Amino acid sequence: MTAATVAAPNARRRGRLRLRFISIVMLIILGGVAVASSLITQGVIRNQERVLLQERTEEAASVLSGAFAGVQQSLGLLGTLAGTGKGGSSSFATAARSVIVPSSEGLMVTTRRGSGMVVTAAAGDAPAVGQAIPADQEPLARRALSTVGMVSGLLPDGSHSWLAFALGNAAGPGTVVWERAEIAAKTSSKPLGAAWGDLIIAIYVTSRPDSSALIAANTKNLPLTGGIQYPFPVGAQKWLVVAESPNPLVGALAQNTPWIILIIGAIVAGLVTTVVEAQSRRRDYAAALVEERTASLRQAVAELQETQAQLVRQEKMAAMGQLASMVGHELRNPLAVIMNVLYLLEMMADAQGSEAMARHLATAKRETSAATLIVADLLDYSAGRAPMLTPVQVADLVAEVLSVVPPRAGIEVAQHVDPDVAIDADRDQMRQVLLNLITNGYDAMPGGGILDISVRSTGESAQITVSDTGTGMDEETRASIFTPFYTTKSRGIGLGLAVTKRVVEAHGGTISVQSTPAVGTSFTVTVRVGATMASVRQ
Amino acid sequence: MNAMNAMNPTTATKRPDVLVVDDEPGMRDTLVAILELQGYRVSSAPDGETAFAAVQDGAFDVVVMDIRMPGRDGVSVLEEMGNPPPHVILMTAYAQEERLRTAVEANAFAIIYKPFETRRMLGLVAEASQAVKERSQAAE
Repeated sequence: MTAATVAAPNARRRGRLRLRFISIVMLIILGGVAVASSLITQGVIRNQERVLLQERTEEAASVLSGAFAGVQQSLGLLGTLAGTGKGGSSSFATAARSVIVPSSEGLMVTTRRGSGMVVTAAAGDAPAVGQAIPADQEPLARRALSTVGMVSGLLPDGSHSWLAFALGNAAGPGTVVWERAEIAAKTSSKPLGAAWGDLIIAIYVTSRPDSSALIAANTKNLPLTGGIQYPFPVGAQKWLVVAESPNPLVGALAQNTPWIILIIGAIVAGLVTTVVEAQSRRRDYAAALVEERTASLRQAVAELQETQAQLVRQEKMAAMGQLASMVGHELRNPLAVIMNVLYLLEMMADAQGSEAMARHLATAKRETSAATLIVADLLDYSAGRAPMLTPVQVADLVAEVLSVVPPRAGIEVAQHVDPDVAIDADRDQMRQVLLNLITNGYDAMPGGGILDISVRSTGESAQITVSDTGTGMDEETRASIFTPFYTTKSRGIGLGLAVTKRVVEAHGGTISVQSTPAVGTSFTVTVRVGATMASVRQ
Repeated sequence: MNAMNAMNPTTATKRPDVLVVDDEPGMRDTLVAILELQGYRVSSAPDGETAFAAVQDGAFDVVVMDIRMPGRDGVSVLEEMGNPPPHVILMTAYAQEERLRTAVEANAFAIIYKPFETRRMLGLVAEASQAVKERSQAAE
């Protein structure tokens, strides 16, 4: 579980540093949608703006066109008046004066005389009758004569210009009826009139935005490159109106709509990304948590299974222990009878003086003792009892044990036993300890050697040491010898030293071991001397 | 082995009386044989009841008795012995701690675990009969 819980926070910390893939994708998609929407809206609004401007320009052109249609009509009527024989000139002048409003306007009729054009009737600011028109006005006169319908043009005259309309053959063949008005300043920043609204416009007397043909504009920033150009008919020719709108015709709100869409889109993209990121992180966190919990659950289940298996094993061991204990107890009686029978047979062999029989009986006795020791160890291990302390003379116990397990061939027993050392001990258990240590010593010397048994008192403790000159043990073996069922012998169940340690510790004592491979092993049991050491029952 | 010094009772004027009590015939018979071989006057009983009756009737110096027997067990016989009681050596093949403590409290002379070294059993019987002898000498 620990490894899982360590890994998860690292993953979470890495997650904090950058957005998740899904969030980035979401941000890109929504951001793109916002930008696209904004651009499309901007296009639509620009288009709408242009349509509106076109409509307004058309309206303005239509007004202008209507106004100048009246001029052609007036010139036609005045020409008809002027062409009615005698008195035509004065009729013209009278009628013309009623038409002319500003003092800078003039009306006249010219007639071809030879190679030039001579004024035959005039009113307002116009040359006097009989006067020839200037040569630079000739081309307009010729154009008027060769054209059906009114022509118009700008006639420069010193510092100012004349806007002139000319209708050819209106007062008879070769005649031209003129109306002219002085244009002092072509451009002005003032509004041109209600018809134009707040448009910026420029009006040319030609169909192209030629600066020499400009007759009116309400701006000085000419030409109007980005405006709408709308040609409209004035008489027989086309004039041009160019219009621009300084303010959005669609309205300020509509104009700003793309930006509003972009900002709202960006905000929505940001919000959605944040929500997606948060959800994603929450989901990842939940997934990590689930993984962690699952891992710990799995571990718990595994532990539970292990515990269950262990319990089953323990139960089996307990059942086997119980069985071993039962069998062990039941073996004790027959073993005791066999020991008695062997004793009786020994007596008989002694009486008969049969050495062979005595030797065989000794073998049987030794093997019975070995069986007895195994049963005792098994019983003590499966159901060790608390020691029942009585005063024990250690020297007696050593002698008894040596009589039970006498040294084998090739082994010499050296005793350094203080006969006065007595301990408070469970005699039977302490006998088992000595039996185990001494038979172990024998087993460690298959090729013979010296088994040294020393018993001495060191003040409050009694020290019993059993040393052999046998094979010794390596470190690994030495570390395991007190473990139950550990054995290096070809026979035996590996309980002797485990039981020995348990018994010694149950007596409040200690057992230690020193061993050198190929040199030998020495076990030392230390227990308290008996309180009744001096008065042991004799 | 100081116990071995008093092992041969035939040197004494009166042969000590020993009662062997065990429900196992093999154990009972071999112990009787061994003790008789050593010169004791030996009787035997197969259970606690019989042993108790025998102790009440005759004066035994030493009783060698198994603890676990059918019916009355060795410890309960020990607890109700007459006066003066013989010295009782109890034998056991089982780890009956409670019964063993009761036996110690009831002044069992010794408790010996089966299987035992026959010589040790003989040593204990000799010790017990010597103790009885000393007790009767002190009483005189």
